[in-house]
Amino acid sequence: MKYLFSLLMLALFAGPAAAHKASDAYLQLQQQPDGITLRWDIALRDLDAAIDLDTNGDGQLTWGEIKAAWPRIEAYALPRLQIAGCEMRPAGQGLEQRSDGAYAVLRFASPCQLGAHPAISYALMRDVDPTHRGLLNIQRSGQGAQLMVLDPSRDEPQGAGAAQPASATPSFLHEGVLHILTGYDHVLFLLCLLLTAVMRRTPQGWQPLDRLPQALLPIFGIVTSFTIAHSITLGLAATGQVTLPSWFIEPAIAVTIIVAAIDNLHPLFRGRRGVVTFFFGLIHGFGFAGALAELNLPTGAFAWALLQFNLGLELGQLAIVLVAVGLLYTLRRRTVYPRWVIGGGSTVAIVLGAMWLLERTTGLALLPV
Amino acid sequence: MQLPLRHLLFAAMLLAALLCAAFAPAQATPITPTSDEQVIEVIPGGAGRAEERRLKRALSRQPQDAKLAVQLARRYMAEARASGDPRPAGQALAALKPWPDPATAPIDVLLMQATVQQYLHDFDGAAALLQQLLARDPAQPQAWLTLATIRRVQGLYAESDGGCNRLAALRVDLYAAACRAENDALRGRYEPARKDLQVLLANPSLDGDSRNWLLTTLAELEELAGRPEAADAAYRSALAASDDAYTRTAYADLLITLHREADALALLRDQPRTDAVLLRVAIAGTRAKSPGAARDAAEMRERIAQANLRPEARGVHAREQSMFALQVEAQPAHALDLARLNLRSQREPIDLRIFAQAARAAGQPAALQELDKLRQDIGLQDSRLAEATR
Repeated sequence: MKYLFSLLMLALFAGPAAAHKASDAYLQLQQQPDGITLRWDIALRDLDAAIDLDTNGDGQLTWGEIKAAWPRIEAYALPRLQIAGCEMRPAGQGLEQRSDGAYAVLRFASPCQLGAHPAISYALMRDVDPTHRGLLNIQRSGQGAQLMVLDPSRDEPQGAGAAQPASATPSFLHEGVLHILTGYDHVLFLLCLLLTAVMRRTPQGWQPLDRLPQALLPIFGIVTSFTIAHSITLGLAATGQVTLPSWFIEPAIAVTIIVAAIDNLHPLFRGRRGVVTFFFGLIHGFGFAGALAELNLPTGAFAWALLQFNLGLELGQLAIVLVAVGLLYTLRRRTVYPRWVIGGGSTVAIVLGAMWLLERTTGLALLPV
Repeated sequence: MQLPLRHLLFAAMLLAALLCAAFAPAQATPITPTSDEQVIEVIPGGAGRAEERRLKRALSRQPQDAKLAVQLARRYMAEARASGDPRPAGQALAALKPWPDPATAPIDVLLMQATVQQYLHDFDGAAALLQQLLARDPAQPQAWLTLATIRRVQGLYAESDGGCNRLAALRVDLYAAACRAENDALRGRYEPARKDLQVLLANPSLDGDSRNWLLTTLAELEELAGRPEAADAAYRSALAASDDAYTRTAYADLLITLHREADALALLRDQPRTDAVLLRVAIAGTRAKSPGAARDAAEMRERIAQANLRPEARGVHAREQSMFALQVEAQPAHALDLARLNLRSQREPIDLRIFAQAARAAGQPAALQELDKLRQDIGLQDSRLAEATR
């Protein structure tokens, strides 16, 4: 009964105490001759509730923490505002003090023209605080300001008329494809494995395979074992069953590239390539999970979003494999193949892997990506 | 002749600078950090934050876990009440979102949803949820008590009585008795209500929070009965039993009406500057012409302006905004509009008093008649209101 009473006390004093303002974000959209600019002010406290800006958990958001989190802030905000016909690009950042606290100022631009009644989808804070609103002020030259209150709980685009189908939720399939295609370390690892797949090792050195089917079976085996392995760890990490810190995972991925490339030059694994690929795939899966965490999956449809992201990864991977194998297969009979494609390619991979390893363990910036 | 002129010019510039500092609308001032260590924002929640984050992560993995969701929502609500900040209340709603259907939602979830809605001043929504909950399981004292409280705030005393009676039937004696005494006091049955509360207070095993609650109820009764000295004593005993923001602001309101602004300012000086506290500080300071009053008023004005950028905010905060408009801005007509808007949702004695003060200041006898009609419909007997409408 003690517990019941303590709860009762809380309910009784509820009425008159409330008065602080609720969670609002402020959006200023301006139509310029050459496109639109958007300024979006989001309370740091709201961002912390959504994506944990306060990484050390001491309740104090320092400039260092905010700076480090800025890519996450943009990655969180950008897909949650869709203006029909406009693709937004980041165009600046800042901080503002308002009466209820500090706000992150995000600036975006797009070379598009607003319609008379632009259809706008807004989903900021949707799963975090359904009482949140986006207060949008649209300014066009020669016209008065147009005000809109954007409600993140509404699914359909908001705005009078103009029923344009703007996708409110980011496509996780798309994100998955994008992630593997632009995740150069994963691509390089795959390429290392594929370089030798159109050849076979003989005591006299590398010899080209005669027929494509001879290459396809081992490639299928390698890609499948990589896929199964990274799906396992991606699933485990995304659901929070197993987590490994990124200071370990990111350098470890670089090591997998170096080791796979060395194996091309000097046999290390011989018949156990499938097993080693599986083991390395487990490590890459944790890397994918890190990217997934930055996307802030919807908690409601989590499993579905995870599946989409993984399918996207596999589709992207399949595309890379098809293009690479096709190219390598046509090149395989060239006499320079063993020396330049396998030798040169693997050496480049070792150098890149080593630079990534150095970057990821020391924080130095050596490579543009 | 040149020197005095320069002095005068300097003095004028200084004055202008001070005025600018006091009245500058600090709507949005850019922050330019100077080092990585600079603290830009403090996240409220203090020591409980780690546990809150742990719960949040656990819930994001199992969003369908009702027990976890209610546990997290309860933490958020405690934080919202402690800080006077509705953001955690919104986050509590998010935790409870997987159960949108009151017909199937677990009872604890429904109760929590209703509590959050009440906090966010959606009284009709909260009452509807509680009624559905109680139709499914009438043996829920907490739900009956919250419903009785909401109906009282809405000025529906008969329905509030119904809730009090159900508490009595469930043998939650302390709460049933206090619930009835509060309704009795509102109807002007001061003497029996006072006796009932005193009987409850005579129990030596009462904990501090319960004692504070009963004494605050008693103080409000004495205000209705037109006995400010007794109300003053009851508020002071309540604070001695357990110190909390609600009691301090209610006591400050009494002190302000008694023209004891300095005491009101002293009472609120070291309190967190929630809107409720800042409003009273600005009112007391303005009336007492205290040195910091202009700055406090400017800060409150700015908070109101920012909150009102959201259209529905004016309705939710109409009580506070009406008090500010009348007692700080001296805009009785505007204050009366806000007081009228406020009466649509809240009908506690303070809400009727604010309306009466604004109507009198605006010189609107018709509005006073309108108010007296409403008072009779509700069945409220408030000696201070009788004074104001006379």
